[in-house]
Amino acid sequence: MAYHTLLYGFAFLPLCLVLYQLTPQKHRWKVLLAFSWLFFYMISRKLLIYLIGASIITHYTGVRLELLRTEEEREKESAAGKKKKEIRLRYQKKGRQILALGILLLLGVLVYLKYYNFFVRNISNVLDLSVLPFTLPEKKLLLPVGISFYSLEAVGYMADVYWGKIRAEESLGKTALFLGFFPQIMEGPICRFTDTSDTLYAGKSLEWDNLSEGYIRIFWGLFKKLIIADRLAVLVNQIFDNYMEYSGAVVAAGAVAYTVQLYMEFSGCMDIVVGSGRVFGIRLPENFRQPFCARSASEFWRRWHISLGVWFKTYIFYPVSVSGLVKKWNQFGRKHAGKYLTRLVTSALALFPVWLCNGLWHGARWSYIFYGMYYFTLILAGMAVEPVRDRFLGVLHIHPDSFGWRNVQRIKTWIIIFTGELFFRADGLRAGLHMFRSIFDGFDIRKFWDGTLLGLGLGRADFAAVIVGCIVVAVIGSMNENGIITRIRKARASETAKWCVMYGLLFAVLFFAAYGDGYQAVDLIYAGF
Amino acid sequence: MEKLIEILNEIDDSIDYSSEKRLIDDQLLDSFGVITLVAELEDAFDISIEAAEMVPANFNSAEAIWNMVQRLQENE
Repeated sequence: MAYHTLLYGFAFLPLCLVLYQLTPQKHRWKVLLAFSWLFFYMISRKLLIYLIGASIITHYTGVRLELLRTEEEREKESAAGKKKKEIRLRYQKKGRQILALGILLLLGVLVYLKYYNFFVRNISNVLDLSVLPFTLPEKKLLLPVGISFYSLEAVGYMADVYWGKIRAEESLGKTALFLGFFPQIMEGPICRFTDTSDTLYAGKSLEWDNLSEGYIRIFWGLFKKLIIADRLAVLVNQIFDNYMEYSGAVVAAGAVAYTVQLYMEFSGCMDIVVGSGRVFGIRLPENFRQPFCARSASEFWRRWHISLGVWFKTYIFYPVSVSGLVKKWNQFGRKHAGKYLTRLVTSALALFPVWLCNGLWHGARWSYIFYGMYYFTLILAGMAVEPVRDRFLGVLHIHPDSFGWRNVQRIKTWIIIFTGELFFRADGLRAGLHMFRSIFDGFDIRKFWDGTLLGLGLGRADFAAVIVGCIVVAVIGSMNENGIITRIRKARASETAKWCVMYGLLFAVLFFAAYGDGYQAVDLIYAGF
Repeated sequence: MEKLIEILNEIDDSIDYSSEKRLIDDQLLDSFGVITLVAELEDAFDISIEAAEMVPANFNSAEAIWNMVQRLQENE
C-alpha cells in the first residue's frame, strides 16, 4: 500500500481519521502509532521489528543523555569556578560515549542491510584482480521500508538531546510515533523532533479547514504523480532501459523527462504526505520550494529535498566545520595560505563528507557516489570562480540580479540538474557515461518536434496531458514563489472556491491519470532509497 | 561589538547588521558564510565554538552572535 493508491486515500486514511476522532484527546497519538505500525506491517511485514528496535534504541539513548544532563546540572550547582568546567568536560565525554553507541547501533543496522553486499562485491572484485582465490559470499538481505529516513531522524534526535537543543521524550510510544508516523515513513520528509512534536502529540480534534486543505493537498499530489510522472515513466523507461539504441537529442530528452518525472513524483508524494499530516492538524515540513527557480547548484539543493539537505548541514557539515582537523587547517591557512584558499579548503573539507554521504544515502551504487561527487565538484567550483565571475560582471556592467543574468544562471543550473539526473537514473555508472557521451553523437534538435519522440511509448494525447499538467504546476509554483498562494490563504478562500479546487483536482485525476491499458503502476521512486 | 561588525562586514558588507534580525532564516548568511564567520570569531575572541552552538538562533543577528561570543568567553 503506497500513498497514491485508492486503498490509502479512500480506506486507510479515512478509517484512521474516524478512529482518531472517536478516541479521547490524550490517547489520540496512540491511534496514530497503531496505524503507523499497521501501515509499516502491510508493506514490510515482520521487518517491523527493525522499526521497533530503532525506536527503543533511540528512546533509551535519549533518556540516558537526559539523565546525564540532570546529574551534571546537580553537580555544577554545588561547584564553583574552574570546577564547573571540569564537570562539564567529564559529562561531555560520558555523553559522547552514549551518543556514539546509539549512533553505532542504528547506523550499524542501516549500513549492514543496505551496503553489505555492495562492499562484499567490491572487495571480491579487488581480490579477483589479485592472486588470492577468495570471494566473500553475498547475502540475501531485506531492507525495511523507510529505514534510510527514520535512521537519520533517530540520529538527529539523539544528537539534539546530546547538544541540549531538545529535552528527551519521556514516553517510548511517543518517540516511536515520531520515528514511524505513517505519512512520512516511506519518503520522508526527514523531520527534526522540533518540527513535529508540538502537533504530533496534541491530539487536536478534526477541523474542516484542516480536512479540506489537507485533502486538496493530497489531490494536488495525485495530480502530479498520476497525470504527469506516471506518463513520463513510460518514455523514461523506454530510453533508459534501451539506451544503446538511442543517442543525441533523444537521450537529452530522456534526461529532461526523468528530471521532470522525479520532481513530479517526489514532490507529489510530499504533497500527499503533508496533506495527510494536515488532515490531523499535524504540520510536516516542506521538502520542496520551486527547485527549478534556483540560480546555482547549491541553491538547487536548498530547494530540492530540503529536509535531507538540512539534515546533512546540521549533523555533518557544521560538526565537521568546527572539528579539530578543520580548526587546525584554519589556523595554518590564515598564516600561510591567505583568506581565499583557507575558505575554499575549509569548505571542501566540510562539503566532501556531505556529498559522499548524500550519494551513498541514495543507495549502494557507484553511480550514486558519482552523483554525490558531481555536486561536490560543481558547488566547490562555483565557490572557486566567484571572485572571477564578480570581476567579469563588473567589467561588463552586468548587475548580478538583472533579468538577463538571472536567466542565464537558471539555464546553466537546469543543464547541471539534467546532467546529474541522467547519471542518477542510468543503469550504472558505465551506462551513464555512455548515455552522456551519446548526447553529442549526432545531436539534432529537430528530433524534439519531428515525431521521433512519439515512437517512445507516449501518444499525442499523453504529451498534451504532460505539457498542460506541467504548465499548471509551473503557474502554481510561480504563484508560490511570489507569495500569491500565501496571500490567498491569508485572505481565507471561500468555501465555494475550496470545493471547486477539490473537485477540479479530483476529476482531473479521475479522467486524465495514467492508468488502464498501456500503463503500468509505477512504484514511488524514493521509497526505494 | 565593533570588532564583530567589522568581521561581519568583511564577509558581506551589503547587509545592515544593526537592524537585521533574520540573517540565517532569510538566507542572507549561507552555510559557507557561517563557517567563515565561526573561524573568524574563534580567532578574534579566543573562543571555541562547538557543533551544539550551530543553531540559527545564535547567528540570526549581530546581537545574537555577540551574546554567544560573550557566553562562550565566560565559559572558557
